[in-house]
Amino acid sequence: MIRARPILVLEDSDEDYQTVLDAAKQYAVPNDIQRATSGDACIDMLRALADTPQSLPALVLLDLNTSQSDGREALLQIKQDVRLRAIPIVVLSGSVNPRDLHFCYSSGANAYHVKPVHHALHLLVLQKIFDYWLHNVVSPFEAESAP
Amino acid sequence: MTSQPPAVHPLPWANSPYSIKRHGLSLTYCASEPVQTPGCIQDHGALLVLRLADLTILQASENTLQYFGKAPQDLLTQSVAVVVAATGMARLREMLQHDSLESSALYAFTLPAQHGVAALDVCIHTNEGVVILEFEPTGRLDESNGNDAFSLVKAAINRMQTAGNLRDFCQNVAREVRSMTGLDRVMVYRFHADLHGEVFAENKRDDLPGWLGLHYPESDIPQPARDIFKRIWIRPIPHVAGAMVELVPLANPDTGRAVNMTYCALRGTSIMHTEYLSNMGVAASLTLSILVDGELWGLIACHHYTPMHFSYRVRSACELLAQVASLQLKAAVHSEQLRYRLRLDNVHQQLVSKAASVGDLLVLSDGEPTLLDAMDAEGAALFHLDRWWCLGRTPNVAQLDALAIWLHERLEFESSTRPVFATDKLASMYPAGADMADVASGVLAVRVSRLRKDLIVWFRPETVQTVQWAGNPNDKPMVSGPNGPRLSPRGSFALFVEQVKQRSVPWSPTEVESALRLQLLVMEMVISRAERLAEVNLDLTRSNEELDAFAYVASHDLKEPLRGIHRYAHQLLESSQAQDTENRKRVESLMRLTVRMDSLLDSLLHFSRVGRTNLEYQTVDLNEVVEEALEMIGVRRVENHCTVDLPRPLPTVLCDRVRVREIFSNLLSNAIKYTSQIHPLIEIGYVAPQEHGAPALAPLEAAGHTVLYVRDDGIGIAPQHFGQVFRMFKRLHGRDEFSGGVGAGLTIVEKLVQRHGGVVWLDSLEGAGSTFYFTLPSAEGATT
Repeated sequence: MIRARPILVLEDSDEDYQTVLDAAKQYAVPNDIQRATSGDACIDMLRALADTPQSLPALVLLDLNTSQSDGREALLQIKQDVRLRAIPIVVLSGSVNPRDLHFCYSSGANAYHVKPVHHALHLLVLQKIFDYWLHNVVSPFEAESAP
Repeated sequence: MTSQPPAVHPLPWANSPYSIKRHGLSLTYCASEPVQTPGCIQDHGALLVLRLADLTILQASENTLQYFGKAPQDLLTQSVAVVVAATGMARLREMLQHDSLESSALYAFTLPAQHGVAALDVCIHTNEGVVILEFEPTGRLDESNGNDAFSLVKAAINRMQTAGNLRDFCQNVAREVRSMTGLDRVMVYRFHADLHGEVFAENKRDDLPGWLGLHYPESDIPQPARDIFKRIWIRPIPHVAGAMVELVPLANPDTGRAVNMTYCALRGTSIMHTEYLSNMGVAASLTLSILVDGELWGLIACHHYTPMHFSYRVRSACELLAQVASLQLKAAVHSEQLRYRLRLDNVHQQLVSKAASVGDLLVLSDGEPTLLDAMDAEGAALFHLDRWWCLGRTPNVAQLDALAIWLHERLEFESSTRPVFATDKLASMYPAGADMADVASGVLAVRVSRLRKDLIVWFRPETVQTVQWAGNPNDKPMVSGPNGPRLSPRGSFALFVEQVKQRSVPWSPTEVESALRLQLLVMEMVISRAERLAEVNLDLTRSNEELDAFAYVASHDLKEPLRGIHRYAHQLLESSQAQDTENRKRVESLMRLTVRMDSLLDSLLHFSRVGRTNLEYQTVDLNEVVEEALEMIGVRRVENHCTVDLPRPLPTVLCDRVRVREIFSNLLSNAIKYTSQIHPLIEIGYVAPQEHGAPALAPLEAAGHTVLYVRDDGIGIAPQHFGQVFRMFKRLHGRDEFSGGVGAGLTIVEKLVQRHGGVVWLDSLEGAGSTFYFTLPSAEGATT
C-alpha cells in the first residue's frame, strides 16, 4: 500500500488543533497530519506540494477565522488554482453566520461543520469527517492511481 | 341702460360737432361721450381759438361780450389784437416762437381789469394746428395771495415724506392737498389692476360721511376720461352747476372739425361727470392726476359742497404737488411691492423650513404661519397624501378634485421651469368654474410634485363680493339725480356687476413669482428629503449588517476559549488526578458551565437576529405549523405521556411560517418542561375577534385580532412574575430544575410576536397551569 496522503489542517488555535490530533488518534487515522496556522502558510504549503501531485493532501480542514490571511482567502486561492482545486475542502468553524455558509459553499467548499463547545461532541464531529472523507467517498486522486 | 354703445342708431351729433349744451342729455353711455371735444367751456372764463399762421380769431366762446365787451360775431375773422392789443399780440408771437406750447398751456400775460371785469390771466397753448387762448380771473398778479406756489408746496412735500408706507403716504397727500386748497373733501383714489377704483386715502370736513375704503366700478371713470387724466395734471371745476358756454362757431371754419380741448383748463365738463357730482351734492371739484411709470395710478379727487374759486396760486401749487407726489409715489409703490414680495417670500421660507424640519408638507396648511398668511387671497388648498387640506374659503372637495384634474392637463403645468397657473376669470376657461365663482373666480396654482400630483392652490372670490361698493344698494341709500339713477353710483353699480361677474382681482406678477418660488422651495425640500432618506437607509443597512457580523464574530470568538476550557476539563476528568469524588464533581461542574455558556451565547445570537432579519409573510395554515412544532419538540413522543388537544381547527393567518413555528415550539417546550404532572395536558386554540368573551387579561392592542393560545396544566406562575417571564435570561426556577434552559424562549416569543405586529400576554394560576396568548394578523383580505 502506498503511503497515505497527508491531511492538512488550517487551525490557529492550539487547543482545537490538539482536538483534531486527539480525534485522529482515537479513530486510528493512518494519514500524516500537517498544520498551517494562517491562510498564507496553508497556500504556500499546498503550492509547494503541487509539483509532486502524489503528495497533495487527501483532505484539507479549514478554520475560517484565523489570524493574518484567513481561511476564506485560502479557500478562494485553492479553488482558483487548477492544480489544487480537486482537493476536498472541509470547513470547520466556530461561526454559524449564514453569510459564511453561503460564502464557503459558493466558493467551492465541500462541507461545512460547526465546532461544538462540548469536547466529546467536537471529537465526534471530527471522527465523522474522517470516516466520511477518508473511507466513504471516492477520492479525486483514485482516478489517477487507477491503471 | 346698456353696456355697449348703440350700434345701429347714429349718434345725435353725427352730422355736426358735439356740444354738451345741445346733446349732453341725450347720452346714455358714458364712454361714448366725446369728452375731448365738448364744444363748450365752463362759464368762469373765456376762450379764443386762433389760426396759427396769422393769429386770426377762428372761434370764440359765446360769453366774450361779458369779458371783452365784444360779442363773438364782432371778434371772428379779426386779429387777436382786438382783444389783447398790440403788446399782447407781440408777447404771443414771441412765445409761439420760443416756447414749447404744443399740448402744454403756459401763462402769457394778464389783461388788466376793464369794463368792470377783473384782471384776466391769459394762458396759451397750441393743439392740432390752432392756438388756444384761455382767459380766467385767477388772481395771478394779486399781491395779497401771499406765498408763491413753490414755497407753499415745499412745506407740504416735506410733511408728506414722513410716511412709512404707501397708505400713510397717500393720507399725507390728502391732508396736504386739503390744507392747501381748503376743500371739503380730498380723496386719493387708486385704480386697481382691473381699473375699478378705491378711495385709498381721505381727508375731509369732520361732519361729512367718510368714503374711505369704498370701491367704484371702472365705468365711473371711463376710458376717455382716464386718457385725458394721463395727459394733464390738474382739472378744476369751480362750479359744477355752472352754465355751459358754447364755442361760436362749433367747428373750426378752416377744418370743419371740433376743437380738441384736452389741454384746456376751461374745458367744458362732461355731462356725465357733473351729473354724477351733483347727484352726490358736490358743487365744485378739483382733480389731480397721479402717474406712475407713465400709467394713471390714481387721482386726487377733491370735492367741495359750495362753488369754489381756484386761484392761480392754488392751481399751480396743486399741479406741482401732484407731480412731486407722483414721483414719490412711484418709489412708495415700488417699495410696497418689494415689501409684499419680501413678506410673501419670508412666510413661504418659514413654511418650507418648518415643513423640512417636521418632515411633512402638511405644516403648510396647519400651524403658524399658513399659506394664507402672506398671499392676498381668501382661500388656499393643498393637495397632499391623496387628499385636500383647506384653509379659508375654498371650493368643496368634489369641486377641488375636478379642478385638479383640469389643472393637471393645463399646458402651463407642462413647463418644467414655470409650472404655475394663474387666472382672474376661471369660469371663462373652465365651465364648472361658474358654480364656484363666489369663492374661486381667481385661481393661482403651482404643482409641487410631478408624480404624486401634489398641488398648492390659492383662491380669490368674485371682486363684486370682496369689496365695499360705493353704489351697492345694500350699503347706501339710493341716490337719484334729476335724470333718474342712470349716472348715480347705484346705476353704475348695476352695470358694473354685469361686467365683473365671475372675475376676481387679478394676480400680480409679484404674487405669481412668489408662488413659483414657493414651488421651487418645496421641490428642493422634497428632493433633499428623499436624498437624506436614502442616505439614512443606506447607513441603517450598513450598521445592521455590521451589527449582524459583530454578533456572529462575538459569538464565535467567545466560543473558542470555551471549547478550550471544555477540552481541558474533559482531559482532566479522564486523568488520574481527578479520580476522587470531590474533584470530579468540580470538573464536571466546570464542563456543565461551559456548555451552559455556549447555550447562552447561542440564545443571545439568535435573539439579536430575531429583531433584525426580515419576516417573510405568507398565508399560513396554523394547523400545519402546530403539527410541525409538536414534531420538533417531540411532545407526542410516547415517553412524554403528553396529551395535546385542539378543540377546533386553527385559522389561516398571514405570517412568517418559520417564525410562528418557533413561537409555538417555544411555548410548547415550556408547557412540557414546567410541569409536575405525569400526564400533562396541553390545549392549543384560538378566539376569533368577533367572538364574545375576550381572553382573560387581554390588553387593548389585542382588540379586533385573532388571539391564539397555548394552555397547560403545569406548575403555573405567580401573578407578580407575569412580567418577568418575558425578560431575557430570567428564570423563575433553579438552573437545573425543570430540565434547565437558558431563559430566552419567552423573550424570543415576545420579540417574534411583536415583529408580527402582535401582542403576547399570559394568565396563570400557581399550581393549576398557565395560558399564553398572542395575536397575529388575520389573513382575511390579505393577498395569498
